[in-house]
Amino acid sequence: MLLPPTDSKIVARRAEIVAALKAIVPDGVVADPSGLATFDADALSAYHQMPLVCVLPSGRHQVSEILKYAGEHGVPIVPRGAGTSLSGGALPREDGILVGMGRMKRIIEIDYENGCVVVEPGVTNLNITKAVEANGFYYAPDPSSQVACTIGGNVAENSGGLHCLKYGLTTNNLLGVTIVLPGGEIVTLGGKCGAQGGLDLLGLVTGSEGLLGVVVEVVVKILRKAPVTRTLLASFDSVPAAGQCVAAIIGDGVVPAAMEFMDRRAAEAIEAYNQPGYPAGAEAILIIDADGVEADVTYAVSRVTDIVAQCGGKTVEATDEKQRARIWSGRKAAFAAMGRLAPDMLCMDGTIPRHALPQVLEEMAAMSRQYGLGFCNVFHAGDGNLHPLIVFDVMKPGEFDRAEAFGADILRLCVKVGGVLTGEHGVGVEKRDLMVDMFTTAELEQQGRVKCAFDGQGLFNPGKVFPTLSPCVEQGHIHVHGAQMPHPHLPRY
Amino acid sequence: MSKVASESQIVEFVRAAREAKTPFEIVAGGTRRSVGKPLFDSKGGDLPLLDVSGLSGIVKYEPEELILTAAPATPLAEINQVLAARNQRLGFDPADWSRLLGSNGVATLAGARGTLGGAASCDASGSGRLRHGGARDSLLGFHGVNGLGESFRGGAKVVKNVTGFDLPKLVCGAYGTLCVLTELTFRVYPKPQFATTLCLSDVTPDIGFTALRKIAHSALEPAGLAYLPGNMLAEAFKIEGGQGAALIKLEGAREPLEEKIALAHGLLGDAATRIEGDIFPAIGCGETFADLPGDVWRVMIAPSDAPRVAKELNAEHWLGDWAGRLIWLAAPPSDAARIRAIAAAAQGQAMLLRAGAESRAALGLYAPQPPALAALNRAVKAAFDPLSLFNPGRL
Repeated sequence: MLLPPTDSKIVARRAEIVAALKAIVPDGVVADPSGLATFDADALSAYHQMPLVCVLPSGRHQVSEILKYAGEHGVPIVPRGAGTSLSGGALPREDGILVGMGRMKRIIEIDYENGCVVVEPGVTNLNITKAVEANGFYYAPDPSSQVACTIGGNVAENSGGLHCLKYGLTTNNLLGVTIVLPGGEIVTLGGKCGAQGGLDLLGLVTGSEGLLGVVVEVVVKILRKAPVTRTLLASFDSVPAAGQCVAAIIGDGVVPAAMEFMDRRAAEAIEAYNQPGYPAGAEAILIIDADGVEADVTYAVSRVTDIVAQCGGKTVEATDEKQRARIWSGRKAAFAAMGRLAPDMLCMDGTIPRHALPQVLEEMAAMSRQYGLGFCNVFHAGDGNLHPLIVFDVMKPGEFDRAEAFGADILRLCVKVGGVLTGEHGVGVEKRDLMVDMFTTAELEQQGRVKCAFDGQGLFNPGKVFPTLSPCVEQGHIHVHGAQMPHPHLPRY
Repeated sequence: MSKVASESQIVEFVRAAREAKTPFEIVAGGTRRSVGKPLFDSKGGDLPLLDVSGLSGIVKYEPEELILTAAPATPLAEINQVLAARNQRLGFDPADWSRLLGSNGVATLAGARGTLGGAASCDASGSGRLRHGGARDSLLGFHGVNGLGESFRGGAKVVKNVTGFDLPKLVCGAYGTLCVLTELTFRVYPKPQFATTLCLSDVTPDIGFTALRKIAHSALEPAGLAYLPGNMLAEAFKIEGGQGAALIKLEGAREPLEEKIALAHGLLGDAATRIEGDIFPAIGCGETFADLPGDVWRVMIAPSDAPRVAKELNAEHWLGDWAGRLIWLAAPPSDAARIRAIAAAAQGQAMLLRAGAESRAALGLYAPQPPALAALNRAVKAAFDPLSLFNPGRL
C-alpha cells in the first residue's frame, strides 16, 4: 500500500513547524524520535510511519490555531484519538502534523434531564458509560476497543459494536458535534435540540475518517439500561441452518440486542483458549442476547428458542450472570484465541446481505485453499457484518502479501454479492484501493467534491479513504478529475 | 412541466437544464411544495417543473433482511400497506402534511399524495420519531442524479455500512436541493402488534413534560410522548383534559405491553388512564393545526426547556411532541421575529412549516445560520449541484 509521496519541502521546514506548534501548545509538542515512535502506527499494526511532529492540544482554541497554521503553511494534518483504528485511519505522515486529542478528555456535562452527555473528544467510549451507569444509564455503541477508543475517534469512524442492529451505530446516538474545520474555523453541528437548521452535516461528518475536520466536542445520547437481559447459545449442524435461523428470527419480528455467529474453527479456537463452554462439534454457533422489560424478553426468548428448534438447532440458556459473562467472554476473546493458531492475524470487516452468507462462506473456504492460509469467521449476524480472521506468519516470506490479497478478495466478494467493503472499521488506508470495486468514478468524484467543500487544500488525512487525491477546483465549471479510475495504469499511491 | 419515468430521462433533463442554466423544481406527489422558500426564476416567474411521479413502485422488499427499496414517488400509503402485511413499518414514522399545508390555500397538485421521497427529502417525521429516529437514521442508500447530470449512488443496501461518506444522511432533509432522487433503500422495523395510549390529565406543562421525560428515559421504548394543553385536547380531539394532558403511547406484543403499562403506572402514578384510539397520527401530521389561522411553526429545543419555551412562546394553540423536543404552534405572522428569537435563545431551531409565500420568502424555512456554517452548507450544496439547478433557495 503506497501513501501519497512525502513533500520533502515540508520535511525540510520541520524545525520551523515544531517551533510554531510549541508557540501554540507550549507543553504539548512531541518532536523527539523516541516520543514520536509511540505514535507511528494505529491498530492496523502492519503499517508504520513516524509523523513529522505530534501535537497534543488541550483545548479547542489550540486546535483551531494549529489548523490555522497548517492551512496557512500547507502542512498535512492527521487527527488521532487513541490510535485503535483497525483500518489505518490514524496512520501518520512523514510530512504531516499528527494532532493527538488524548488530552482533551473532560466530561463537560451530564444532563439526565435531556438524556445526553457533553464530552471532549478524548473521553473513552467506556468512560461515558462509567460516568452514568450508577444512575442506570449507558452509552449504546460498544466497539470491541471501548476500553481504549475515544469518542472523537468513534465519531470519525462511525463506530459500531455488538448491539448495532437494535441500538444503531455512533451516528444514531449523537445529538451534536463541534468540529474545527481546515483553516481553523470552529462550527457546531446540532446540539441538545437535535436540529441543525440546514443540511445534516452532523451525519456527514460522522464516519468521515478525519477527512473533514477535527472533533473537539460531542453531545451523545445516553439510554436507560434494559432491566432484563437474557443470553442464549444456539448450535447448529450446518452453516446454512444457522443462516436460515438468523433470517427467520429477524423475519419473525424479534430484534435481539445482539446476535453473534461463529463458525466451527472460531468456536474451537475460542474453546481451547478460555473454555466458555461452547458445544463441541457444532458447525455454527449463535450467541443471542434479548433485552428489555421482562415480558418482552420472555417473549423474545421463547420465539427464538422455537425458531432455533425449527431450524434444527439446539438452544442452551445462560442460567445466571456468571454464565452469561462466560459465554460472552469467549466471543470477546476471539482475536486473542486466534492468535494462538498463528503469530499474525488480519481482521476483515465487510457487510453482506445475510441471505448470501452460505455462498460467501463457501467461496471464502475456496480462497483459503487457494492462498494456503487459514481463516475463521466471527460475524455480527443480525446486521450481516462479517469479520473473517485470516491467520498468517509475517516472518514467512510472502505470507503477509498473501494474507492482504486474501482479505481484499473477501471484500470484493462482499461487494459482488451486494454488500460493502466495511461495516464498522472504516476504509482508512487498508481498503482505500478497493473503493473502485464498490464505487464508480462518478461516485468517487461526488464524494471527492464533498471533501473539497470542507478541505479545499486537501490537507486533512491525505491518502486515506480515497484512492486518488481529488484536486479541488473551482466547483461547477470543471469536471473534477475525469480519469477512468478503475484502469490499472493510473498512478495510485 | 416535464414528466419523466426513468433515471436516464432525468439524466437527459438535468444535462439539458445544465446546458441552458435553467433551474427547476422537483415534484413527485406535490404535497410539500409550499414548505420552505418559494421558488422563482431570475425574473420572478415560476420555475419549470420536473415531475418525477412516474418513478413509483416498490423495487424490492426483503422482510428477513429488514430492507425495502422503492422508487421515490411511491405513495407512502402503498408502502405502509405492503410493510404492514409482514408486520413491519418504516422507522421514521413519515408524516403526511397534506391536510395541514393544503388548508391554507397553498398550491398543491391535483390528486396530491405523500410519497417516500418527499417525506425523506423534507425530514417529515411524526410522533414515532422518538422510537427509531428520523429518515436519516434509517435511509441506508439511494440512487440519484447530481447537478452534473451524473447518476450516482450513496450508501448501500445493507443495514450496516461505513464505506465512504454517509451521503444518505445529507439527502434527508435537503428538500431536494442536492440531487434528483431515483431510488431509496430503507431499513424497516418490526411493527408491534398492539399499542395503547395513557393520558395523565389536568397537569401543568411543567408536570406534564416532566412525566414525559421520565418515560422517555425509561426502558419502556415509548412510541409517542406528547403534551397537549386543555384547549387543544378539547377542540381537536373532544377530550376533557383540564389544563392539559401528557399522552404516552406504548407498544408491544400483548403481555409485554401490559407489563409496560404497569411500569408506566409505577412511574406516573395511578392517575394515568387509558384512552381510546390513537391520536398520535393526527398530532404528528400537524392536523390539529390544519384549520387554525396563522403561520404554523415547529420549534426544536432541548426537551427540558419545553415548559419554559412554551410559556415564552405564549401561543393560544400549541402542543409539545417528542417528549418536549418539538413544540408545534400557530401564531400570527407578526410573531415571527419573536418566535425565532425565543428559539435562538434556547439554542434551538424554529422551522416555519406553513405560511404565506411572502412570509416564507422573507423568513426562510430556518433562521440564517452563523456565517461559517452557512458557507459550509453552500459549499456542500455546490459539491452536488454547482449551478444550483435543483429547488434553488428552498432550504
